[in-house]
Amino acid sequence: MRSPTLSRIPKSEKSLFSYLFALLFAVAFVDGWRRAEVNPLVFFDAENRGNLWKFISGMFPPDLSSDFLSLMIRPALETIQISVMGTIIAIAIGFPLGILGTRTFSIGGILNEADIQGSPLRRTWRFSAYFAARGLLSLFRSIPEFVWAFMFVRAVGLGPFSGVLAIAVAYGGMLGKVYSEIFEAANERPLEALQSTGASKLQVFIYGWFPQVLPNFVSYTLYRWECAVRASAVLGLVGAGGLGQQIEISMRMFNFHEVLTLLGILFVMVAAVDYISAKVRAML
Amino acid sequence: MSGSSGEKTGAAVPWPAHEVSGRSNLWNYVFLLALAVFFLWSYWGSQVQLSLLFSREGGGQILAYIQKLFPPDLSGPVLREALQGAIETFAISLMGTLLSAAIALSVVFFASRNLIYSGLLYEMEPTLGWKRGLRLVPYLAAKGLLNLLRTVPEMLWALIFVFVVGLGPFAGVLALGVHTGGVLGKLFGEVLEDVDPQPVESLQSTGASKLQILLYGILPQVLPQFISYTLYRWEVNIRVAAILGFVGAGGLGQRIHIAISLFFENQLFTLIIAIYVLVTLVDYLSAYLRRKVT
Amino acid sequence: MRERVAMAYQYRLEKVGKVFGRRQIALARIDFVVQRGEKVALIGPSGAGKTSLFRILNCTLRPSSGKLWINGDEIESLHGRRLREVRRKIGTIYQQHNLVPRLKVIHNVLSGRLGRWSAFRSLASLMRPLEVELAWSALKQVGIEEKIFTRTDELSGGQQQRVAIARVLVQDPEVILADEPVSSVDPSLAASIVNLLIDIGRDTHKTLLMNLHSVDLALAYFPRVIGIKNGVALFDLSPDKIDDRLLEDLYSGHLPPSDQEKVAHAESNALAYP
Repeated sequence: MRSPTLSRIPKSEKSLFSYLFALLFAVAFVDGWRRAEVNPLVFFDAENRGNLWKFISGMFPPDLSSDFLSLMIRPALETIQISVMGTIIAIAIGFPLGILGTRTFSIGGILNEADIQGSPLRRTWRFSAYFAARGLLSLFRSIPEFVWAFMFVRAVGLGPFSGVLAIAVAYGGMLGKVYSEIFEAANERPLEALQSTGASKLQVFIYGWFPQVLPNFVSYTLYRWECAVRASAVLGLVGAGGLGQQIEISMRMFNFHEVLTLLGILFVMVAAVDYISAKVRAML
Repeated sequence: MSGSSGEKTGAAVPWPAHEVSGRSNLWNYVFLLALAVFFLWSYWGSQVQLSLLFSREGGGQILAYIQKLFPPDLSGPVLREALQGAIETFAISLMGTLLSAAIALSVVFFASRNLIYSGLLYEMEPTLGWKRGLRLVPYLAAKGLLNLLRTVPEMLWALIFVFVVGLGPFAGVLALGVHTGGVLGKLFGEVLEDVDPQPVESLQSTGASKLQILLYGILPQVLPQFISYTLYRWEVNIRVAAILGFVGAGGLGQRIHIAISLFFENQLFTLIIAIYVLVTLVDYLSAYLRRKVT
Repeated sequence: MRERVAMAYQYRLEKVGKVFGRRQIALARIDFVVQRGEKVALIGPSGAGKTSLFRILNCTLRPSSGKLWINGDEIESLHGRRLREVRRKIGTIYQQHNLVPRLKVIHNVLSGRLGRWSAFRSLASLMRPLEVELAWSALKQVGIEEKIFTRTDELSGGQQQRVAIARVLVQDPEVILADEPVSSVDPSLAASIVNLLIDIGRDTHKTLLMNLHSVDLALAYFPRVIGIKNGVALFDLSPDKIDDRLLEDLYSGHLPPSDQEKVAHAESNALAYP
């Protein structure tokens, strides 16, 4: 017999949604396992284990001959240069589009109340600018930088410039989206006050908007630069210059001791860039 | 023009030393100069030719390439290929993200200072001696491992795994899992180190073991954030999974690689549209799930 | 003919109403006329629509119904540059100061000049401040000239309110709108700030409209007091004609004015931006 007090304990409620979700997840998992050819047993396969061992033992000792190192200085620096130029152009793309794509700047909020109301022409113009900016940003960031790089290699030829353009476009899209989120988070009260002095939108932006969000803005841009260094190291795989090209060559030639050296160089570069951007952040 | 006060004072403004106009602040100029040199050096080294983009020839080249992309090839076989590639990419990103979460979860508890090494849980333990040193070993090992996994980009992991386990999507899964495992490990570690110590303290005072404290005091606090971070990385991974095929790790990337190499621009465009749709869908799905979790 | 009549007035409101969303009525129907150089206080319980009214008066919001003339211009037809020119002639002091916290005081003061400056000049002034003497004399007038190069978020509430007043001085408008300028400073300072604003208005023949929580300050300093409740003007009289019965009507169903401050503060923080 069930005790009366026990039956009064409410059952914890699981919604239909969670069952449905669990089912979907299970299906996706099983199907994904099959499609992605997941097979943990490969590591127990003698041949694969042999490969792994060949790779690991081949890495040591790393190739630290001055011949090789001096050859690698140029691509390593090129990687940094690609990341810097790519990020700068990305800012040039993302900044204006991000401003236009900020809801409170273009179409909503207290700043646009008086401006848009009673003027259908202005309204149409603003809304189309807003959606065009958002659409472009979404297009830019949804196509991976790698694919951009491939297309730019076709369009402007092999070399670091393709890498720069690829990073510029893809990161421009990412920066622009996050910039608009950062701008939207700004406190609107000071902006309202600035506008009420007769300042134009651009002036309100220069005087009130940007100073408010500057630390976040710089911090996120630096973070993206850190990512760009890693990305530009990889873009070399499609012939867009930098360290990636060398890594691929060494990998294809099974020169694993060179691979380890190159990974070491990459590690040092990334650490250096992280350090620099941490310093700059601390300055704010 | 004059101020509303009507009072026109002369140059009575006492400029503080650091605001003195006219006198240069040497340090600032040095900094700006160094920055300018750095940018110029980058400009020169990366062979940027913006003029090329806007010149008749260069611009024409790009326009011609864009024209070649149109119209996208929407014939049956190509669409089927794109769909299959998209599903495979989705599968790679999903399995890779799950693997990365598993890796991160199995390492992170050793890599967070407050769980393994110092702080509240270790107040009553000896602060010196070999026992403390012993705890330091897994801590440092875990930190180092996460750093290693994180530093090598996914594409390079993919190159390595293609060599080890052969061509195919599984190499992509491993590459995503290993790199993202490092990233998530770091993010999870930060969450763990911020955990609210009060529930931990009260559990400890009931005599709970460390494992029990972990299960009852810490995991419930951090789980939503763990899930949220994992979903966020999934958004990143879907983009990466779409290109891993370039080095032979399956998915849409492999098909894109073929289309680009064989100059099938119209098919390429179809595949790019597939990437766009897939990425956007996953972004929405992930954002929706994150809202559900938090 | 009618336009010419309106020219004589600073503000002329005809059946002005404001509705947020579909049915949140902020202002029902307001009619009044303010002459140039006039000093008017607005009192009333919080939530009566005074802040919305001020936002309409400084052209941040547009009325949903009715007509508003500023200086003879019917503002319904104004957009863009011409709207900004009207805004330039109206200086607003906000309850929360609404300064940009990370900027130095001088930039916040000089932002009053933005209506006269080009975008390029505004940018240049952020690098190295222009018209420093102007900002200095304005700050001197409010008594905090020594703070000119301090970062604004390092100042106390009262000092920030003075910076906001200096900004309006530098803007040199025809009208000063002060929305609860003293509700976030301590009472001993309140009278002196109200006094300062009245002096500024008198010396330069500016029109002054002030929202006030404190009935005492309104009655003591202003020749004309408008009581607003539930989005309509309950009375519009000189202070000697305002008796306790009228005030009781104004605040009936609401907290007494002294307790309102906290509520108003919380409310203005929560005030939904439309």
